[in-house]
Amino acid sequence: MPEKRIVLRNCGVLDPKDISTYLEKDGFKAWQKARTELSPEQLIAEIKASGLRGRGGAGFPCGLKWELTSKAPGDEKYVVCNADEGEVGTFKDRYILENDPFTLIEGLAIAGYAIGARKGYIYLRAEYHYLLDLLTGAINQARDRGLLEQFDIEIRQGAGAYICGEESALMDSIEGKRGEARYKPPFPPSRGLWQRPTVINNVETLMNIPQIILNGCNWFSQMGTERSKGTKVFSVSGDVQRPAVYELVMGSPLRELVEGLARAKAGRFIQIGGATGRIVPYEMIDTPMDFEHILGAGSIIVFDQSRDIVDIVRRTMEFLAEESCGKCTPCRQGTRVMVGILDKFAHGQGEERDIRSLEELSSAMMLSSLCGLGQAAPIPVVDSLQRFRSDYEARIRKN
Amino acid sequence: MKEFSATINGSPVTARDGMTILEVARENGIDIPTLCYSPELTLTGACRICVVEVEGSRTLVGSCHTPIAPGMVIQTHSPRVLDARRVTMELLLASHPEVCIVCDKANMCDLRKIAADLDVGLPRFRLPKHYFPMEDVSPYITRDMSKCIQCWKCVKACSEIAKKNVYGIAYRGFKSKVVVDFDDQPMDKEVCRDCGICIPFCPTGALCKPSPVRQAKTARPLVITGTAQQ
Repeated sequence: MPEKRIVLRNCGVLDPKDISTYLEKDGFKAWQKARTELSPEQLIAEIKASGLRGRGGAGFPCGLKWELTSKAPGDEKYVVCNADEGEVGTFKDRYILENDPFTLIEGLAIAGYAIGARKGYIYLRAEYHYLLDLLTGAINQARDRGLLEQFDIEIRQGAGAYICGEESALMDSIEGKRGEARYKPPFPPSRGLWQRPTVINNVETLMNIPQIILNGCNWFSQMGTERSKGTKVFSVSGDVQRPAVYELVMGSPLRELVEGLARAKAGRFIQIGGATGRIVPYEMIDTPMDFEHILGAGSIIVFDQSRDIVDIVRRTMEFLAEESCGKCTPCRQGTRVMVGILDKFAHGQGEERDIRSLEELSSAMMLSSLCGLGQAAPIPVVDSLQRFRSDYEARIRKN
Repeated sequence: MKEFSATINGSPVTARDGMTILEVARENGIDIPTLCYSPELTLTGACRICVVEVEGSRTLVGSCHTPIAPGMVIQTHSPRVLDARRVTMELLLASHPEVCIVCDKANMCDLRKIAADLDVGLPRFRLPKHYFPMEDVSPYITRDMSKCIQCWKCVKACSEIAKKNVYGIAYRGFKSKVVVDFDDQPMDKEVCRDCGICIPFCPTGALCKPSPVRQAKTARPLVITGTAQQ
């Protein structure tokens, strides 16, 4: 299966600084169609029928999220675009924002119309500060042409915290507070930004919206597998010859992406979904990439035979310990304990009981942490212990 | 208010709309330990000691902040729950200084009480101990942040009850800390004066009243007697 560019169809084709190049290519036609031909309810039904699921990693059905928000009582509602692409090894949103900010704005405006929001936010990660002018320019051009009637878009910049990609911490950050996970429920569709009903969508999710409106939900739901529709944009990096952003239909085998497009020579293992993603041995390269199997936010990092898995897991854990917000006990203390234990293994000073400690700690953290960071932080440890246990055992100190 | 039924530990309970699992459990005489929860403060959900098992949920849920729903089936003391609570407690104790014997709150410390109830002794896990100098300049409060377990009840009590916002949270991860101003000076009477509202909320010895130096003891001396002598 070759690449199928739906989300990325305009990338490299139009001038991201000039909205007229976008308007020549069906730009804002979907927005017009939505507002003139469809009621918000019909629009939501269309998105629901398309089977579009969130592209940020969790895969929550987009239409359902919109429906919940639209039905939630509230005098003011918000749409937020999560452009805090913080997951290790993801760079797809950056590529999208750099090349096609207009489709995103259109998608955001359609989302605003669907749920009855008058205000949308784009939460841009601190490292993408250089894109601020481009995005502001794109919003201003759309506004000048009357394409953002009754809907205003504001860009809020992050300050460099990984946790602020988690939706509740992201909302705290927009509100001007310290970015920390909130307890759930309430979920954002009932009480989100400033305790008002809020839709939070990933950049890539919103990029799909205009195409679904223009081509219909059936066109979209024909692509992909039973529970994962459409395409997915992947960021491939690591020990490959052509690290880049690729877009494939959901359900494509990992081999297609890693060997076919990115030209990897046989590796040892692949990390899918970033720091808190799954680690799979290279032999699992025929796994389909969809929500039923493995997906995450679409980050694929390939490691070859020269890489040391224990050291990679240790460095991942150092990152997570550094980025834990510090609110809940299992994550704040647990990630730090894990760094200590993994340090011992990295230096060949591990003990038999440390492996047991890691396993017991992992299961407790996954069960009782407050947010996704703490719940998913042990995944690389659990996966590597399951599939590459001998690497750990080889590092146990011999008396 | 609408009433409905749910099940806790196999027994039917009656709950009302808007109640949390913890509130219903306590109303029915089931004790779930809590560290960051207080009925007088807004919810935090940070300590994760109060987690319970809810049928159908992938993870355990914090009982202090999760609303109870009709027909919910809840386990408050199952092996899975107790295992998770023990790990959380051990994680807290791992970085907590072992100075109970000279701690002002030794006998009324929630942390210690809950640890004993969970049969947690020496923690399995190793963490560096926090060390911060004692802040004993203020005549109204003594802060020993080495003992803080970050329940944030002092932060909330100060802002919600005293309406003062003396405390804030700084840094992140294992380094996060309840600070005063920019964490550049000890708590003194310039910032916090004659209030002490936060002190009884502290579940550890991190916040205490300054010890009464050069004051006559008015109460009877405390004599601890063992049961064997009686």
